[in-house]
Amino acid sequence: MSNEQREVILSVKHVDITFDKFKAVKDANFDIYKGETFALVGESGSGKTTIGRAIMRINPCSAGEILFEGKRISGKISKEEDRNVVRNIQMIFQDPAASLNERATIEYCVSEGLYNFHLYKDEEDRIAKVDHALESVGLLPEHKSRYPHEFSGGQRQRVGIARAMIMDPKFIVADEPISALDVSIRAQVLNLMNKLKAEKNLTYLFIAHDLSVVRFIADRIAVIHHGEIVEIADSETLFKFPVHPYTISLLSAVPMPDPVVERTRRAIVYDPSVLDQSGEKREMREIRPGHFVYCTNREYGDYEDKMLQMEREMA
Amino acid sequence: MDTENTNLFEFAAFDELESEHIAAPRYSYWKSVWRTFFKNKFTVAVAILLIFIVAFALIQPMKSGYSPTVTPNINNADMKFLKPGPGHIFGTDHVGNEVFDAVWAGARNSIIISFICTAINMLVGIPIGALWGFSKKMDKWMIEVYNIISNIPFLLLAMILSYVLGAGMRSLIITMTCTEWIFVAYFIRTQVMIIRDREYNLASKCLGTRTGTMIVKNILPYLISVIMTYISRQIPNLISYEVFLSYMGLGLGTTNASLGQTISMYTSYMKGYPHLFWIPVSVLAIISISLYIVGQKLADAADPRTHM
Repeated sequence: MSNEQREVILSVKHVDITFDKFKAVKDANFDIYKGETFALVGESGSGKTTIGRAIMRINPCSAGEILFEGKRISGKISKEEDRNVVRNIQMIFQDPAASLNERATIEYCVSEGLYNFHLYKDEEDRIAKVDHALESVGLLPEHKSRYPHEFSGGQRQRVGIARAMIMDPKFIVADEPISALDVSIRAQVLNLMNKLKAEKNLTYLFIAHDLSVVRFIADRIAVIHHGEIVEIADSETLFKFPVHPYTISLLSAVPMPDPVVERTRRAIVYDPSVLDQSGEKREMREIRPGHFVYCTNREYGDYEDKMLQMEREMA
Repeated sequence: MDTENTNLFEFAAFDELESEHIAAPRYSYWKSVWRTFFKNKFTVAVAILLIFIVAFALIQPMKSGYSPTVTPNINNADMKFLKPGPGHIFGTDHVGNEVFDAVWAGARNSIIISFICTAINMLVGIPIGALWGFSKKMDKWMIEVYNIISNIPFLLLAMILSYVLGAGMRSLIITMTCTEWIFVAYFIRTQVMIIRDREYNLASKCLGTRTGTMIVKNILPYLISVIMTYISRQIPNLISYEVFLSYMGLGLGTTNASLGQTISMYTSYMKGYPHLFWIPVSVLAIISISLYIVGQKLADAADPRTHM
């Protein structure tokens, strides 16, 4: 499906986020289409979580705006819209041990959103909804009266997912939802997220640093480096035709479960000095349909050459 | 491997739902608090001693009807300065009254005052401190209010208030609460700031939880243990404040008994009849120390990390 026909659910336009004098995110631009999983990939400190939190309106934008279903949600908005945004955009947190209230029962943790918006007819209805939410993430209704510290990491993360899903959101910001989990249960949580996405017609913004996971779950990938989004493309395209030097170095670092390949693998170190140093302002340019790269005019020419070369090799 | 040997093994059934089951007995916070508290024999002994002393201090003066102004034996030299012994457990004082009655009547008022003051300070300080820690806007001006109030010399304030309001229980309570609450609030503010930005609070924010609910459900339950520690220090502190103020003549006045009043009254006989001084001081020490120990142990038990 070409991107023009698809409905944009969330768009981030020229967003800057600063903490005091430090610019954590510079000129971020991307659209997320309804029903897709959009991944934001970068090393730690690159600003990916900051963008996720700006969408959750925890971090304010210092410039630019964020639109959800065409309406601005950054900056000051009315109380009504605020409630609308909270109901429709939910977040799954990185550390399931830190993101649940240790002094509250699972029942309260999962009901919290219901209480805030009074999304239930009576007590019975609320309990039924909590039971249903717990069952949909593979937990048991008897877990309601338990406390978070009694659960394993994977179970806790599923409680976090149930708590977000009970609000019936349209859009989910998943901030490294599996990086704090045991390797053995990562697939379980990813499969659960995919199952819920299909059932509830959700859209995900999946924040990660692990490209192998992202390839498995994402439809499109944005690569972020030092607060700048450097490249956006379909995941297959990005893995096949990476053009930005940072993306190339990031892909070269992905480990392969193949000892022969691993022995010969050479990680490419990213060297920003190859970029255009003229000081010309960079912008997002579409090098191929749906494939964007953040560059100056001269860099665009270089990338075009690289692209043509790669396409020739593939053919 | 031999094919026959593999026949000795059987596939175990795997039930996914069964694997989610938690076998541990149900956890209840308060039950665990009490279990941890009662596990220590020494703590239980101190707690029983404390309950006994407090109950005795509250009941005994009602029976004895002691008042420093009632002195029926003042002209009876045989009744003055008797040594502790049978018939006069703690002996008698310079006006021929039972020291036993005087000490318990004093302890009663001191305990009542310190409990009331602690309750007021906590009830005012905790909600204000919780809001103060949460709101950056409020922090800006509250910190100035704190700077002003905390710089008022306590003794000066106590003197002025006792001149303006006169001596008595009311003025003493006002003296020990009108500025003390802000220290409680400041303490709570700092604690709230430490846990305010933890991830589970961000999660609540993302779910649209209001500040008030967040304070009650997310913040205060985490502070039970530190608040208990604070209370266990505050009550004995206020008892010594009361003793100090009464000793300085700024407390309950000469018509009411209090530990401070009693100690100050008997200090002049320290040389000749040291028991007059040391008995009320020991009672004060026992009350303060046992309150402190019980409070500390309760605070420890309230910390869920000790429940395992």
